[in-house]
Amino acid sequence: MSANRADRPAERAGLPPILLRGPLLLLGFVALVLGVGAGLARLGWSVGAPLASQAPLHGPLMICGFFGVVIALERAVASGRNWAYLGPLLSGIGCLALAIGEIGFALWAFVAASLVLLAACAVIFSRQVAPFTLTLVAGALCWCVGNGLWVAGSSVYQVLPWWFAFLILTIAGERLELSRLLAPAPGAGWAFAAILVVIGTGLFAAARGWGAQVFAAGLLALAAWLFRYDLARRTVRGRGLSRYIAVCLLSGYAWLAAGGGIILFAGGLSPGAASYDAALHALGLGFVFSMVFAHAPLIVPAVLRVGVPYRPMFYLPLALLHLSLLVRLGGDAAGQFAWTHWGGLLNALALAAFIVVTALAALRGARPNPA
Amino acid sequence: MVEPQASADADRAPAPDEESVREALRRVDDPEAGMNIVDLGLVYEVEVAVDRVRVDMTMTTAACPMADMLVAQARRVVAAIVPVGTAVEVRLVWDPPWTPEMMTGIAKTHFGWTF
Repeated sequence: MSANRADRPAERAGLPPILLRGPLLLLGFVALVLGVGAGLARLGWSVGAPLASQAPLHGPLMICGFFGVVIALERAVASGRNWAYLGPLLSGIGCLALAIGEIGFALWAFVAASLVLLAACAVIFSRQVAPFTLTLVAGALCWCVGNGLWVAGSSVYQVLPWWFAFLILTIAGERLELSRLLAPAPGAGWAFAAILVVIGTGLFAAARGWGAQVFAAGLLALAAWLFRYDLARRTVRGRGLSRYIAVCLLSGYAWLAAGGGIILFAGGLSPGAASYDAALHALGLGFVFSMVFAHAPLIVPAVLRVGVPYRPMFYLPLALLHLSLLVRLGGDAAGQFAWTHWGGLLNALALAAFIVVTALAALRGARPNPA
Repeated sequence: MVEPQASADADRAPAPDEESVREALRRVDDPEAGMNIVDLGLVYEVEVAVDRVRVDMTMTTAACPMADMLVAQARRVVAAIVPVGTAVEVRLVWDPPWTPEMMTGIAKTHFGWTF
């Protein structure tokens, strides 16, 4: 145990970064509000002209705006490097630039944000050379590629698989890390590597007809891997927060499988088709937001130093998220736009309920104990 | 990172030994794993002197953003069992990197390892 490596707490917990984190997270929530408003406008809800004008930018606002800020902030905290906070800052600036119509500036801000995130992940990888840290680097690289293609003139529809790969690989890397707690399983590591190769092949072959199906097959295989090897299978038998996290994760994996299955069944991603809405929201809302719901009680205290003690009411927004998504995807499958329309509104309410429940838990946690 | 700590519970506390410090640290859970940091093998070293306690601990990964929070919790539970005026130092170390083999038998059994 070398002494020179023991001084990272001071580096990690420097006061200026802690003071920065709140405003940075706020930028992420601005992106979330804009992105959700834009999504509701796409579904025909009246959300007011400023939000309605953002309708075509729903995807960029959610992925580069909200998730860009949140993931880059989480990685900045973990890396302990002050410069890494430029990642969430640039993502947030990009989001604000989108909101005022400065699209060109926003694109470059997102490119810069993704490069900073990539550098932060590289720092973590250099600190711990392992398959899971390499997966985090691969996830950040996917965001860089997607943003680069967007700047080079590709449409949002064309870069979406790269952006989703950014989110999915980031989550997969984190889960791979925790799977080490379980008894070593022969072949699990190689299976994970093979799945990443399939997903990567699908991304690079996106221009060909079969690319999206290979990508989707990779997502299905990843869902199967997570069901089989994730720690959640064991912690779901526990209690309290650990069990809640596991329920979020396992239900999220079902949506990951659903998203992959829909793309595979539909023969690819066709903008405007009902399967497009269904697949992207199974992945983005069902899978990725389930992970957000799971980790908020861990990440909010880590980032803001505000306790978010577990409450059974955490299950309410989670249940609403899943039920509302079933309504939405049911509408997509049945060709009943009214279901999709109302399902979308309930999706937004689930996110709002999640924020309210998290804030209430944080407020209760902040009360001094009556000793 | 060295902070003199005081707590009402610790006013009349005798000086702890290493085992009692480890026992106190068992109250700090890694919520994601659902297991305490001692049985996870995250506590590398506990050093108890007359006027100070030093703990070296790690995380399962350098990518973990919860490090500051768990270090603060560790410091809090140790401070609660030491006499007033005792300095409590909890250091986050990365060398050697944590491996699953560092878990205790309790944790390994819990996570399905067979022996």
